[in-house]
Amino acid sequence: MFVLGIDLGSRACHAVLADGEGRIAERSFLPAAADLHATARRALESFGLRRDEIQYVAATGFGRGQVRFRDLAITEITCHARAARALLPDASCVLDIGARNARAIRTCADGRTLGFRVGDRCAAGGGRLLERAARALDLPLDEIGPVSLRAQDPVAVSSVCAVLAESEIVRHVTDGRAVEDILMGLHLSVASRAAALVRQLGADGDVALTGGVARNAGMVAALERKLGLPVRTSPDSEYAGAIGAALLALKRLRILDHDPRVRLS
Amino acid sequence: MTALKRLMADWYRDLSEGEGPVVYLPVGGNVAELPRACGFRVFFPEVNALQCALRKVAGEFILRAEEQGYSPDVCGYVKSDMGLAASGGSGPFGTIPKPDILLCTTSGCSTTLKWFEALAGIHEAPLFVLDVPSVRDGAADPHALRYVVRQVEELASVLEKIGRRKPSRDRLAETLERSRQAEDLWMEILDSARAKPSPFDAFFEAVFFMAPITVLRGTPECVEYYRAAREEVRGRVAEPERRRIVVDGPPPWPHFRAFRDLFKRWGARCVASTYVRVGGDWDEGFRHDPSRPFESMAEFAARCYTNRSLPARRAILEREIRRFDADALVIHSVRSCRPYSVGQACLRVRDVPTLFLESDLADPRHFNEGEMRTRVDAFFEVAR
Ligand code: SF4
Repeated sequence: MFVLGIDLGSRACHAVLADGEGRIAERSFLPAAADLHATARRALESFGLRRDEIQYVAATGFGRGQVRFRDLAITEITCHARAARALLPDASCVLDIGARNARAIRTCADGRTLGFRVGDRCAAGGGRLLERAARALDLPLDEIGPVSLRAQDPVAVSSVCAVLAESEIVRHVTDGRAVEDILMGLHLSVASRAAALVRQLGADGDVALTGGVARNAGMVAALERKLGLPVRTSPDSEYAGAIGAALLALKRLRILDHDPRVRLS
Repeated sequence: MTALKRLMADWYRDLSEGEGPVVYLPVGGNVAELPRACGFRVFFPEVNALQCALRKVAGEFILRAEEQGYSPDVCGYVKSDMGLAASGGSGPFGTIPKPDILLCTTSGCSTTLKWFEALAGIHEAPLFVLDVPSVRDGAADPHALRYVVRQVEELASVLEKIGRRKPSRDRLAETLERSRQAEDLWMEILDSARAKPSPFDAFFEAVFFMAPITVLRGTPECVEYYRAAREEVRGRVAEPERRRIVVDGPPPWPHFRAFRDLFKRWGARCVASTYVRVGGDWDEGFRHDPSRPFESMAEFAARCYTNRSLPARRAILEREIRRFDADALVIHSVRSCRPYSVGQACLRVRDVPTLFLESDLADPRHFNEGEMRTRVDAFFEVAR
């Protein structure tokens, strides 16, 4: 028996296949195309299974409404909360930094949400800013984290807007500032916005970092510095949305097995 | 046409075609009864801006105002109105007459004062400023009230000079009595939301039901409207509700439907809201009083919602949550309206799940439906 969790974001599509015990059997990653439904279909096909071979499909992410073969749509917030407690059980607060913005969630031990804060709509608080910075500085995205860790004297990035932040980068480059200092400055600027969300929730223990940004060691360092709290990641952090969706799909399936009258919303 | 649409259309028609001097007033804490009793036609720039937002034309007017140099951070109502003025003053509802006098109360919002100053300049009309001190935590201080009463007396003689009619004691008493009646009826309607399930939505419906008490307070039409509305609500069979929410803040007018539907999908019924009381704090027992004409108008001006301290506003929210047995609080913070939104994030109530949303009441650019939906859905998913 399999359930599918699919996280269709604005930049990427993550999907995981889980068995009846909630163990992750397979993962799939695709860049999101303009046609969100087609992307979701390709994710399904990547597992070599037909839709009717999967018992339950839960979709999450910005494009969740476009996954037409889903049984259930759940918000990213609920999914990341659930997954983070499965991946990093000791962290009572989850920070999910997505492409467009960040959200902080306080959870109870079973992964239910106690409260959440979402960053404002501007992309300056999300991973997209780092992507643009990588492009502007001519570096592969995976390298900006490690490079930033070499910073001696991070620049101050004050813009509240991703586009303006990009022009700040250009100014620092022309001022002859070191690439690593510019990068760490950017990481710290994204981190300080995210940290404000975590602080609003009154978090005081470990913070689980989820979303693609978790792979970025520079971001983890910047967050720890801004938060003064340990920031934990898991190799599966990037798949947290999809994993949470799969786990919630399984939960829903169990409820349905018990009581077929439960209504889906 | 519904009774409400007809009333609003008549209000606009009387403004563009009727006769008699015209006064411009703000919504919060105004003393509309006095000019009305002196035969003035009463116009509210805020209500007009709201109508422009609801009809989705505010966006254009706002851009027009920004072309003139108004910053993106200035209140959208103000910019909508300035854009309208720059476009010749003729909006979707006909031409708004020039004011013979503008009468601004300071208790609602300091932006309104600057707005009225600008309008006074454009129309070359006199501006009377009714300076109302803050009431902080509750009952207005007697000295403060005396200070306001003195100004209302002065205003009466100013209006007498400009208007056609002397403000006779009787006519003022009659007007105030009608205000009182409409206020009683309106409170009865809002109170009906205490029933479970509630037959009435105290936000998504009430923001429309509140129009007459805002623009026609003191007229017979206003009393009639609320009498009929009360009967209509009394006769309703309430639809089932899954959640009972209290809402703080104004709605995002340009996206009203989309916003309402986000809550409808979850079966959430609003049982109390603060926006419907921005006009006056009738729920705390205030009523206009023909036996204390000037004093009660002064008190009304002072007790306006945004003239309250944040602790006082939190106490109001806590009381409403208890009284209406609500299970969640929704705070909609609008970027335009600082008197409403500054400090609003601190109004979360202990032990009551609170959803904090941000957009705007006039500027359509500040509403992101996908983002909003994720927040609303996540909030209700928690409780599922
Ligand atoms: S700031 Fe608020 S109260 Fe003041 S004019 Fe704008 S909307 Fe009205």
